[in-house]
Amino acid sequence: MNQIAFLPAREDVLSRRKIIIADLAELLPAECLVHEARELVPFETDAFISYRRVPLAVALPKTTAQVAAVMKYCHRYKIPVVPRGAGTSLSGGAIPQEDAVVLCLSKMSRILELDYPNRTAMVQAGVTNLSISETVGADGFFYAPDPSSQLACTIGGNIGMNSGGAHCLKYGVTTNNLLGVKMVLVDGTIIELGGKHLDAAGYDLLGLVCGSEGQLGIVTEATVRLIAKPEGARPVLFGFPSSEAAGACVADIIGSGIIPVAIEFMDKPAIEICEAFAKAGYPLDVEALLIVEVEGSDAEMDAMLKSIVEIAGRHSVQTVRECQSATEAALIWKGRKSAFGATGRIADYICMDGTVPLSKLSYVLNKTSEITDRFGLRVANVFHAGDGNMHPLILFNANDPEDAAKAEAAGNEILKLCVDAGGCLTGEHGVGIEKRDLMRHQYNDVDLNQQMAVRSAFDDGWILNPSKVFPLEGRPEGRQDA
Amino acid sequence: MQTSFTAEQLADPHVAESEKILRRCVHCGFCTATCPTYVTLGNELDSPRGRIYLIKDMLENGRPADEEVVTHIDRCLSCLSCVTTCPSGVDYMHLVDHARVHIEKTYTRPPVDRLIRSTLAAVLPYPRRFRAALLLAKLGRPLAPLFKRVPALRPLGAMLDLAPTSRLGKADTSARALPPVDVPKRGRVAILAGCAQSVLDAGINEAAIRLLTRLGVEVVTPAGEGCCGALVHHMGREEQALDFARRNIDVWCREMEKDGGLDAIIITASGCGTTIKDYGHMLRLDSAYAAKADKVSSLAKDVTEYLATLDLPKLEPRAETVAYHSACSMQHGQKITLQPKALLRAAGFAVRDPAEGHLCCGSAGTYNILQPEISAQLKARKVKNIEATKANIISTGNIGCMTQIASGTAVPIVHTVELLDWAYGGPRPAKLG
Amino acid sequence: MLIPHSENDAAYVIRTAAANKKALILCGGQTRSPDVDPLADIEVVSSRGLSGIVTYDPAEMVMTARAGTPVAEIEATLAENRQMMAFEPMDHRGILKTSGEPTIGGVFAANISGPRRFVAGAARDSLLGIRFINGKGETVRAGGRVMKNVTGLDLVKLLAGSQGTLGFLTEVTFRVLPVPQTVETIVISGLNNDAATNAMAAAMAMPVEVSGAAHLPQTVRSKFIDGKLPEGEATVLRLEGLEASVGVRADKLEAVMQAFGPVTRLGMDDSLTLWRQIRDIHPYADGTEKPLWRVSVAPSAGHQLVAALRLEAGIDAFYDWQGGLVWMRMEADPEAELIRRYIRALGGGHATLVRASELVRQQTPAFEPLPEAVAALSARVKEKLDPWGIFAPGKMGF
Repeated sequence: MNQIAFLPAREDVLSRRKIIIADLAELLPAECLVHEARELVPFETDAFISYRRVPLAVALPKTTAQVAAVMKYCHRYKIPVVPRGAGTSLSGGAIPQEDAVVLCLSKMSRILELDYPNRTAMVQAGVTNLSISETVGADGFFYAPDPSSQLACTIGGNIGMNSGGAHCLKYGVTTNNLLGVKMVLVDGTIIELGGKHLDAAGYDLLGLVCGSEGQLGIVTEATVRLIAKPEGARPVLFGFPSSEAAGACVADIIGSGIIPVAIEFMDKPAIEICEAFAKAGYPLDVEALLIVEVEGSDAEMDAMLKSIVEIAGRHSVQTVRECQSATEAALIWKGRKSAFGATGRIADYICMDGTVPLSKLSYVLNKTSEITDRFGLRVANVFHAGDGNMHPLILFNANDPEDAAKAEAAGNEILKLCVDAGGCLTGEHGVGIEKRDLMRHQYNDVDLNQQMAVRSAFDDGWILNPSKVFPLEGRPEGRQDA
Repeated sequence: MQTSFTAEQLADPHVAESEKILRRCVHCGFCTATCPTYVTLGNELDSPRGRIYLIKDMLENGRPADEEVVTHIDRCLSCLSCVTTCPSGVDYMHLVDHARVHIEKTYTRPPVDRLIRSTLAAVLPYPRRFRAALLLAKLGRPLAPLFKRVPALRPLGAMLDLAPTSRLGKADTSARALPPVDVPKRGRVAILAGCAQSVLDAGINEAAIRLLTRLGVEVVTPAGEGCCGALVHHMGREEQALDFARRNIDVWCREMEKDGGLDAIIITASGCGTTIKDYGHMLRLDSAYAAKADKVSSLAKDVTEYLATLDLPKLEPRAETVAYHSACSMQHGQKITLQPKALLRAAGFAVRDPAEGHLCCGSAGTYNILQPEISAQLKARKVKNIEATKANIISTGNIGCMTQIASGTAVPIVHTVELLDWAYGGPRPAKLG
Repeated sequence: MLIPHSENDAAYVIRTAAANKKALILCGGQTRSPDVDPLADIEVVSSRGLSGIVTYDPAEMVMTARAGTPVAEIEATLAENRQMMAFEPMDHRGILKTSGEPTIGGVFAANISGPRRFVAGAARDSLLGIRFINGKGETVRAGGRVMKNVTGLDLVKLLAGSQGTLGFLTEVTFRVLPVPQTVETIVISGLNNDAATNAMAAAMAMPVEVSGAAHLPQTVRSKFIDGKLPEGEATVLRLEGLEASVGVRADKLEAVMQAFGPVTRLGMDDSLTLWRQIRDIHPYADGTEKPLWRVSVAPSAGHQLVAALRLEAGIDAFYDWQGGLVWMRMEADPEAELIRRYIRALGGGHATLVRASELVRQQTPAFEPLPEAVAALSARVKEKLDPWGIFAPGKMGF
């Protein structure tokens, strides 16, 4: 699997490798710079392991000032910079290139301030998503966006990808929960956008930065919104005889005006994989499973569940299991959130992330199986059904190049299918390297040119994460080679 | 994850096993979040995922270990928190074991490091030598600050710091007796006397023996057993570790053939338990021992694991609140998480779970001696979390943790079985004052 | 005024202006910009000719409409399906004495949001996709029609709230939500601004899903729901949702709020009226041209700002968004610099001059001036969308 090209490494940068490392060593404490050949290898990829490039050096700054110093230096000498949080990107957003300095914020992992009266947390970018909720949980609050990798992924990475999660159906994604950032621009200038107030002044640069995949600057601190934890939450398992029935049930639940906190879908292969890891008690005798979570007071949950059970009944639901305890609920979510990793028990996989309109869920699920069948590949489906964000996991053998190429080709077909069904290439994982060359399937030249022009307003020399997001062909004049 | 080994490389069963382990890793990164060294140092190279990658690169290229790889593998506590976290089921324990053996075979450490390691390997597993060394350490304690100023000698300073100031014990095995006649006999078990624990805190096994005996279990302490091999195993000294294992297996197998056989091999230090439960794997390629080792591993039980099968009566609530510290070898190595707390609760104690319970206290066998800086940071973090529970007793199931945590807090720390023995009629643990 | 009736016509108009480097003022129904600057040589282009709902599938909770579609038409269509725009766009006609029809394009171009904004997001948070004409006259599509979409740069957010300075919106696709079954309001009486801020923060920390939190001091209290609010200052908290749960949550909230002051409750009809009047700044729809500021700060800073300003200027104010949105009517001078200085001192935020006399508006920057680096960056961004600077030059400071 190596169909997607990276920008060719720049000889002028590679040839100055020693000087660059010596210069960076002046800017950073010894423990904050990785440059030995062997030590660089573990940074060659993220959670999209099909692609790998060993970087020139890795900077592990501890302060915004150090980030600014590195950026200023790299900008001056036109050295590509690839930002990295925890390296959990499923689209290869943090995969380096041979001539790049990786700017990894994992040492900036402090929570700086909790402000409960204003319901905000100010954190460094390297703080993990889950640690915010864990820290404020005892005081009755949580941070809402909950990507499945929330245990490990960082807020900086979440901002880069505008990460979603299971509970975004009710609470929105990162951009809806982000109030402000401190960031370092490409030339080392430090700016602040937003704060504890709502709707920053001027243009919504915060909205633009969120989801910009590290191409507009390096976010070093973020102010995020905290929400009061609901009184109670109850995941309920609904087992169906077919994926179509489950998909139609989702559309009906939402169409009826009920918005649960989360509606998650798993097909039979996914159920088996997750059950093997989490032992959450998922029903194994059904073809498809919905995890529907409602929250609020008992009265409210009962009322909502009554309506949902009624709707599920119309879609020949086989089993309905209400979760009886907090431990059980935790296991149900642990299984779901570990789905991708747990798939590693049976095969290598690539994970798609297209979003489709709810009315097209069943259609796209069917077509997806047709595509993988045609390629002779297995697929497991596990995804956020309530907002149409699909995650077919295409299973393959990474040690068999032919199999890997087939998986990539099948994946491309599935993503095009999502776009053609009125959806998009990526709902929450980002374009990264993985979907870069499919961008023209979703956008025409004018659309893409406009996006690239705006990107240039932040980074005229295109040194930030330059191989990603925008197809290499047709970039603005002079920016093809970073 | 994709791997590239030649057929020739894969002919080595150790490489073949590691290859299988590597293939399961999908590089998701979940393990980084619960790894004590990653959360402390914030560098991928000091995370399980980073180490897996370093090991993969080293093994695939059939390279001898080098300074960089050794630095990061040495920093691994082998706490196995990553194994608990990993959704893909990557067997990191056996991968890092393999890497340590590879390092030991192919890498020459600096002289001071070599000296310290050989000394540890030659002293700690042997109670008599260890007792003598501790007496010397008492004399040497004033030198600790001096050692700490020289980076290469820091481990010596740390060693001196850890030596207990109180009296050294010698197990009073006279407590061993047949159960009282009025109690129905419930089983016959061997208890591991082991090495360091018997010197540092003989009271633990005494309590275990008293409690088990009272409950109708015959406890034997067969002669000839000794260190389980964990200490040297974690240094990559595989042959020495296997020798310890074989010796213990011989002793226990003899005991199994005696009247009544053995229902269990009871272990009161969870670090040892993890290793003994792995004897089957460690000796899988030794045709003479493989079957016996498997049998021993299946009989090995942590004392709380065994007690949980005995249906102890529920007692009235007591005044003491206990912060339960789950040793890594207990929760990650042996996956024993519920039984110790359930036993304490049944015995009437109010049990509290410190935050970040999954993180290591920094003890990790000889880690607090070999990596004093990281160990000290982890200790401070652990003590802070424990003290935040406001409990008046700390309980745990591993001597290493007890020594480590005790050196950082005034809250008394005792073995879980000592509290249980006390609650069910034994003496109040002396450490509670 | 130019009123193109198709996207192509609009593109033509803008291409022509671009070719001649002629400035354009972009607008919808002109309800928020009462009288366009009468500077010669500036043409006004309105989207009102691009009208009509394009697609609406209630089961998908997504609507696509042409930019000039009247908000009233959209709200009526949604209401038929018991759905709504969660961000409660306000109607500026009352305070600005304007006529005309607010358009959906105008709502998004100005990112207009009402009381629910602080929990349910702003207009920009509901906006999923747009079509717009950039300053070169090109038709650009951004975003899409699905809720989760991170494909490429989020130009949707950038255009939302850009006040017609970056592009001419021709079509918007946005998310809608079911109308809550019922609404109830808890009123706590007699709290001063400080106590009210504490009460609102306490309410927001409770698991009762408050969807509106406003404080109406004595000077404005009687202007709401025909003076039916009890005597004294009124701190009002809105609860919405299923009938089965609103009552239960209201009981819980009331039990806690009684510690702050006497509590009364408003039923559905009064609640709907009250929150619409808060949304539309009813007390300051006073027929005057007294300077009116819309200030966004951290919720705990709102009343501190007002207290500090009172020592130096005559102002009247009330609070929405848990205290973080302050509507301030100045008795005389707009005091722009003073206000902005205090906002910075209190941790940051921004003040927008929503209403003032012609003369005052000419002398006062309506939008918060930006720090130098951010202003420079914003100017570069504008240049990438509007290279010749033809869209409302200078309106947002660049």
